Amino acid sequence: MAQFLTLIVSAVFINNFVVVQFLGICPFLGVSKDVKSAFGMGVAVTFVMTLTCLITYPIYEYVLVPLGIEYLEIIVFIFIIAAIVQMIEMALKRFSPTLYNAMGIYLPLITTNCAVLGVAELVIDKAQMASILGITASSMNIGFAVLYGLFAGLGFTLAIVIMSGLRERISASPVSKHLKGFPIAMIAACFIAMAFYVFALI
Amino acid sequence: MNSLNLLASVDFTTVGIVLAVVAVIAIVFAILIVTVSKLCAVKEDEKVKEITSLLSGANCGGCGFKGCADFAQALANGKTDISECSATSPENKREIAKILGIDAGDTEEKIAVICCCGGDGATDKFNYVGNLSCSAQVSTMGGKKACSFACLGGGDCAIACEEKGISIMDGVACGDKKSCVSCKRCIKVCPKGIIHLIPKKAKVYVACSSNEKGKDVLSVCKTGCIACGICAKNCPENAITMENNLPVIDYKKCVGCMLCAEKCPRKTIKTL
Repeated sequence: MAQFLTLIVSAVFINNFVVVQFLGICPFLGVSKDVKSAFGMGVAVTFVMTLTCLITYPIYEYVLVPLGIEYLEIIVFIFIIAAIVQMIEMALKRFSPTLYNAMGIYLPLITTNCAVLGVAELVIDKAQMASILGITASSMNIGFAVLYGLFAGLGFTLAIVIMSGLRERISASPVSKHLKGFPIAMIAACFIAMAFYVFALI
Repeated sequence: MNSLNLLASVDFTTVGIVLAVVAVIAIVFAILIVTVSKLCAVKEDEKVKEITSLLSGANCGGCGFKGCADFAQALANGKTDISECSATSPENKREIAKILGIDAGDTEEKIAVICCCGGDGATDKFNYVGNLSCSAQVSTMGGKKACSFACLGGGDCAIACEEKGISIMDGVACGDKKSCVSCKRCIKVCPKGIIHLIPKKAKVYVACSSNEKGKDVLSVCKTGCIACGICAKNCPENAITMENNLPVIDYKKCVGCMLCAEKCPRKTIKTL
């Protein structure tokens, strides 16, 4: 139980993908203009991250490692992520046009989202995961990998929703002309990152 | 020699394994994607495609949708009306109406005019210091102008205009007839609501929005309409009627003789 708590706190706060590890910054700044679309993006990324971990972890563990070709990981992972996103897009278009329209261009954008590749790379790094979760490297398994993917995605959602909330407020505030738009968003992102950094002290 | 050695040192088993693994993964995912796409095939509406190709493609957003493709979708679903689009040419609109099987209706080209010519000639009721945008000005007692229908000259419309067709001259916004694509952006941002669409072929328009009585207008503005009704009396086509202390021009009747603009004692009726 303690392990799960560590995993959740670690994935969502301490090692938050966006504001601590600085992965997936493009959607974080690009899709955070309003809370609704930011939340949609967050859900999409969470979904893709979880699925990615579910598929990449066994492929790495049972195909690449036994054959001794671990160095192919990035090629194979990008490949898998692209395929997953493609399939999700088609499935959404068919079964939930509303959600498909809401996500619009964000879904294809996830294909090249480094946060997704980052989580796939991280969960196969057993030494790193073991130190994060406080378990032995040999007890790392697919369950932890998928859970980590899920909560890393939720951490992404949290960060992007906070950011979009801030930006909604900022857009209605009197900001001096030279800071209007992107510069003030960067400053806001900086403050969020600093706030999250405090979790690393726990 | 070196290159030969390099070639000899390549472990072809590993290369084979790598190729095989990548090929297998590729094939598996290719099959999966094809299966999913077959399962989830959605019929793209031919109608929507045709309509999209006929629309102007300006993506101006004047219709209130996210672009021409979105507007085409809404048209096909009958959620909106083709007259909402101002950028598409009348011929194409008729084509679209044919596709939709409806009447094209009023597909006249329109332009936006700013119905105020007060500017510096309209008196201020106090000295305003601060943010000059109209939206900010209007929050302080409805703006500095003594006439509550007056253009504040802050230029929110000029900023909103993508065609750069609006400029501020002598404290009042002036539109340029040629560059207007009637995207309605200026109309949306004007806090006073004094920008209106008129037919593109119109020759004259009333550059005042004040519903006040003549005497009241006279006391606050040098050029505002005082509702004398001379234009209405002189119009040979009876195209002008007085409503709420303002002349209303019926552009269906107007022949563009410009007599009203000539006779107007305050030069409130402007020619285009």
